[in-house]
Amino acid sequence: MGTCTETPNRTNVQLELLAATAATLVLAVVLAPLRVARASLLTWGVAGLLGMAAIALAPTFDLVLLIVLVLAVLQARLASRRDFATRVRGPVLAVGLLAIGLAFVRVDAPVVLERFGAVGIVAGLVAALGIFPFIHEFDPEESVVASPIPWIAFIGPLFAVTVISWARQVVAADARDAFGAVLIGLGLINVAWGSVASWRTESDAAAWRYSFMADWGLALCGFGMAISDGMAAALVLLVSVVLGRLPLYLWSRQALREKKPAERPINLLIAALLAGSAPFAGFAARVLLLRGATQLYWPLALVLALTMLMWLPASLRLGRSMGMPRGRQAVGVAIVLALNVLLGLYPQPLLRLAGL
Amino acid sequence: MEIVEAAAAFLAWAGASLVVLSDGRRGLALGLAVLTAGFAVLALANGLQIGAVAVAAGGGIAAWQCWRSPSAMWGIMPAGSTPRLVLSIGSGLVGLWVAAAVTNGPGAAMRFAILVVLGLMGARVLSSSELHVVLAGIAGLALALGAAPALDVLTDGTVPDIAGGLIAAGVMALPRSGHVHGNSEPHKRAT
Repeated sequence: MGTCTETPNRTNVQLELLAATAATLVLAVVLAPLRVARASLLTWGVAGLLGMAAIALAPTFDLVLLIVLVLAVLQARLASRRDFATRVRGPVLAVGLLAIGLAFVRVDAPVVLERFGAVGIVAGLVAALGIFPFIHEFDPEESVVASPIPWIAFIGPLFAVTVISWARQVVAADARDAFGAVLIGLGLINVAWGSVASWRTESDAAAWRYSFMADWGLALCGFGMAISDGMAAALVLLVSVVLGRLPLYLWSRQALREKKPAERPINLLIAALLAGSAPFAGFAARVLLLRGATQLYWPLALVLALTMLMWLPASLRLGRSMGMPRGRQAVGVAIVLALNVLLGLYPQPLLRLAGL
Repeated sequence: MEIVEAAAAFLAWAGASLVVLSDGRRGLALGLAVLTAGFAVLALANGLQIGAVAVAAGGGIAAWQCWRSPSAMWGIMPAGSTPRLVLSIGSGLVGLWVAAAVTNGPGAAMRFAILVVLGLMGARVLSSSELHVVLAGIAGLALALGAAPALDVLTDGTVPDIAGGLIAAGVMALPRSGHVHGNSEPHKRAT
């Protein structure tokens, strides 16, 4: 792992995230509780994967935005208690902001307009993910495929890597400081907002959603640092979101509905995974992030270290909300724990493939 | 050629403004048709013949789908639409200032059309909860996104134009069922 400014290999990073997402889909479908409609989950999951593959293969950023628009419309057509207009609003805002931001950085314009463009691109990315300040409306009773969760945890990681990668190509050197600063600023706000809300909110399902926001906050900080340690931290975090937090959230939904929290050793292990404790993947990502922040500007590392402590109460709560995993769910939880330990102890293959 | 491009950009703005100012399907269809004409001419002026055909076909199908909807009315500038009128004129002026005065180089008409249509269509989708209005806004947004590569001289805009046209036509062809009302959860959950 180097410490200088490096650009990761976009194709390989996209491939890694695509593989991680496909693995999560397989886990979710095979090990889903009996009540879950597997055919629907598989159909829409594969549709999402195809969309992600199209995003990864798109030769221009404009095509990426058009693909996102299609995915947004298709998802908003699914049956839900939220209406079409409400569900399509976040992604359309994201596409609009990204397109206007991209237009500003493409044209021959003063630096101030290019900086506005960079801010627009970050705002668009945040709006697509549905994190602060563009939090998508969330209905805990809604099915996962129709909810905002696919944007924050399924399509989101690959989309974010694609946007950041394209942006680094098109944003002029004079505007890159604004781009990084806005990413770090919004990242810190999301870390604080997500971890506090995940701890204090009334609904357990909403607490899970806020916990995704907190993870994204750290990932945005990593991307904003634009040095290899920050990028590596962001990549490990995103893979742990896809291979850890997302499947655990899917398997927690039955316990959430039945309101059967539990305080067994397995719940403590799950809480440790979610909090980013050693030896799980979140710990490796946090170490890399703190190291990167120390190189960049040590007070940032101090702030990050303080905010990381806020994960603990929320994670204990989420761990309890999983209930006592039995049968297929227990197998799934064991696989997720093992994968995250492996990623936490030995992330080098993942990072080497990504060129970090 | 510059006059043709300027006229086409004005058409695109006028079409987008009509979409913003209309609540009825015929008004929306007219807006989409005018917007489509503007972007098709701009694509042609940029040497993208296939792109221009794709935009014209896609936008035309979208406008036709909107026009032939049952119980179609004009609904242009209904009562209470003054803020939308202000938005249309204001965005046009700001877009003109950015495209002609703030930014440099050739292609001011294309810059104006793309920026103003992206802004107006985004605002339309965010401000309405009517399905047909939102779909018309998304169709207009897709056409503007398809035209956006023209801002970059190094990017070929044919494929995005074709994709934009296809999406505009496809979005308007979606079935018009709304959403699940009340507590009608199916027995088996998606998860």
